[in-house]
Amino acid sequence: MFRRVLRLGLTPGRPNRGLRTRRGGFILDWDAKVSDFKKKIECMLPGKQWGMPYDTSYLPPKQSDVVIIGGGILGLSVAFWLKKMESSRGAIRVLVVEQDHTEYLAVVDAPLVDLQFNPSGCLLLASEKNAATLESNVKMQRQEGAKVCLISPEQLQNKFPWINIEGVALASYGMEDEGWFDAWSLFQGLRRKVQSMGVLLYQGEVTRFITSSRQMETTSGEQVVLRRIHEVQVKMNNSLEYQPVECAVVINAAGAWSGQVAELAGIGKGLPGTLQGTKLPVEPRKRYVHLWHCPQGPGLETPLVADINGVYFRREGLGSNYLGGCSPTEEEEPDPTNLEVDHDFFQNKVWPHLVQRVPSFKTLKVQSNWAGYYDYNTFDQNGVVGPHPLVVNMYFATGFSGHGLQHAPGIGRAVAEMVLEGQFKTIDMSPFLFNRFYLGEKLQEYNIL
Amino acid sequence: MLKIIIPSLMLLPLTWLSSNKNVWINVTAHSFLINTLAMATLWQMNETGMGLSQTFYIDPLSSSLIMLVIWLLPLMLLASQNHIKKETDYNKKLYISMLIILQTLLIPTFSANELMLFYILFEATLIPTLVIITRWGNQTERLSAGLYFLFYTLVGSIPLLIALISINSSLGSLNTLLLTLSNYMLNQSWSNHILWLACMMAFMIKMPLYGVHLWLPKAHVEAPIAGSMILAAILLKLGGYGMMRLSVILDPLTKSMAYPFIMLSLWGMIMTSSICLRQTDLKSLIAYSSVSHMALVIAAIMIQTPWSFMGASALMIAHGLTSSLLFCLANTNYERIHSRTMIMARGLQTAFPLMALFWFLGSLTNLALPPSINLIGELLISISLFSWSNFTILLVGTNILITALYSLYMLITTQRGTLTPHMINLQPSHTRELTLMMLHITPLSLLMINPKFIMGNTL
Repeated sequence: MFRRVLRLGLTPGRPNRGLRTRRGGFILDWDAKVSDFKKKIECMLPGKQWGMPYDTSYLPPKQSDVVIIGGGILGLSVAFWLKKMESSRGAIRVLVVEQDHTEYLAVVDAPLVDLQFNPSGCLLLASEKNAATLESNVKMQRQEGAKVCLISPEQLQNKFPWINIEGVALASYGMEDEGWFDAWSLFQGLRRKVQSMGVLLYQGEVTRFITSSRQMETTSGEQVVLRRIHEVQVKMNNSLEYQPVECAVVINAAGAWSGQVAELAGIGKGLPGTLQGTKLPVEPRKRYVHLWHCPQGPGLETPLVADINGVYFRREGLGSNYLGGCSPTEEEEPDPTNLEVDHDFFQNKVWPHLVQRVPSFKTLKVQSNWAGYYDYNTFDQNGVVGPHPLVVNMYFATGFSGHGLQHAPGIGRAVAEMVLEGQFKTIDMSPFLFNRFYLGEKLQEYNIL
Repeated sequence: MLKIIIPSLMLLPLTWLSSNKNVWINVTAHSFLINTLAMATLWQMNETGMGLSQTFYIDPLSSSLIMLVIWLLPLMLLASQNHIKKETDYNKKLYISMLIILQTLLIPTFSANELMLFYILFEATLIPTLVIITRWGNQTERLSAGLYFLFYTLVGSIPLLIALISINSSLGSLNTLLLTLSNYMLNQSWSNHILWLACMMAFMIKMPLYGVHLWLPKAHVEAPIAGSMILAAILLKLGGYGMMRLSVILDPLTKSMAYPFIMLSLWGMIMTSSICLRQTDLKSLIAYSSVSHMALVIAAIMIQTPWSFMGASALMIAHGLTSSLLFCLANTNYERIHSRTMIMARGLQTAFPLMALFWFLGSLTNLALPPSINLIGELLISISLFSWSNFTILLVGTNILITALYSLYMLITTQRGTLTPHMINLQPSHTRELTLMMLHITPLSLLMINPKFIMGNTL
């Protein structure tokens, strides 16, 4: 009985220690305890950053004025312009949350950004039925000051002898300041710049929005629910830990996953056909890019050639390497759940067209393939920019279906203007607003990539 | 006096023993009742003051400050209702208890007869304030803010304790009434200079003086709304009150020792006002404007003329009400948008027209528009400073200009402009918030009519 009393009297977490064991846990690991304690005291001294007793540097801050979901080129561009347009340094707190950190290694003390811009021009080929659209496009581009010209098939054959002009009715070629650049170095450079401007970049997945909603009635009498996002819950990878970030504005630049993020905010939850029930029609689509080597190929003068049927290729580097791909048709859409490359796709779909256009590509050897996601806008393949009419503090900068990189600086500025000034100032992007999904007005562009 | 202190103390059992539904109603209603009681007892008609007992004495200087303390408790409770409602009931009661303890400590602080009692209570008020800032503040930076607040004040107050003890041992008593009658002349020796510094530094840091003002923006920004209100309205004035009380025993050294501090205040006024022009965080702007106004008070107390003391007392009360009002307005903003940055919330006039009225009145009193009591304070101080030295008019004039600039800048940035798309669907102004603003504006407007209540003891 005595033993039982004693056993019960011990700490509740140790029911069966018995009488022979000593409570020696306190003095074991003494050095670690002392150094722990010293660290805590050091944190407390004035001048040091006294945060929580444990290390929380990987968690995003608890409050941020703007939270940008998605740290890709569009998200970073919006962050850049927000910081550039603030009236004094440190005015707006911007937080960029990016899900996948493994690819984007931090570059410290890197030299100046060299975009490796190759001004070799873009050659767009058009068949008979698309010739008129191409001509009007070129006219519009020339009006804006772009130096492009229209080439007839004979001139095309003279200029680029390696090309086979069968089926080509018209071509457009950029003569100055047109070409391609290294997207990776742009991304890295932008990331560094944005960090130096004071934007916080954190890794995590947005799992939840804490919102509040109110029933309101539109002028036409339709009942809508206006929603406001108060907090963004950012979950850390490989862990259940999350950090709620209080925010004023959320910018959805999540690329291929923008549709899922929008659903988290309650966009699209309603009867289809109403404004309430209009979803954000952006979904991930997998696209392949292939790199091949062909010594007999077109050579150093190759522009970026966009063929009639959707195949494109361009020169990559100076060693007779070429890079290209093709957009699959609706029926052949590859499965977007993973980034596995289907090697047959190149053999069956891309190579025949390549050979037809450039006969010297018959002897090419594929060096590597990779796959990536387009943030594909299923409605009209054009981007969504600006606020959502019902979730009042969510802004979109997504859905460009593969053209996000080209448009990123302009879109970033447009969204920053919308957030800070309330309207588009430099370029009027109102055709790109979300409302067109509800109204059914497609913003079509003649594009083939 | 007991009829004010005992009810304030009994508010504590009231919070803990009320049922959870009734806590807020009970405490707010009873603190309003204490208000009416205190107003009846505290309005002074003569310059001799009310000698209430052997320990408590209220003269016209203390009465306005005590009235401000008692007026502010229900206002703090009204302001905190929203952000504290997510906490557990136990935490809510704890928060209310902190506010009540603070009031109960502040009332005797302003009415203490003995300087030693004043000192003890002065230090004691630090503890509930520290708890409020570090426990219920919003950001992680609140911990460093609390640290700065605590240690800046303590560094000044320990020398004050030693100085008070030494004066006690040489004079025999620290009774404020007796001290005015004593002939304690400090001659010009090194130890007396250090004694002067020791007495004054604690209050300079509390005011705050420009060189040691670093704790104030941190503490004000990180504190919850009730913390900001009590800090801005009352705790800063502890410094001014202390300086006024202690200046009777520090003659004639003040004439020579005050120079550096007057220079620092005058220069600091302009510096902090200019910082306000560059601020993007709304609470930070109001915090720096507090530093700027209090610098005027320090300069006024240092030159020790009847008019300057009148101006200092008037400005203390007026600034207390105005700063508290502006913090409440900034808080209504923060509760809706979850951001303190000014440019994220623009064009509020279209969304909240009635609140825009209070923003307007608050900004106008902040820039000392006639005939508000802020103007009375600032004008009396500028005139007496001018008579002390002609050159000060340039600095004070520049400050008045820059104050007007940043007040209007704050008004225009938040109220005018286009409403950004993320500002639709904000909750309209609650009646509670409007009542809160009205309760700030009412004393400000009514005192305009009869400002002799706030003019202090040299009227």
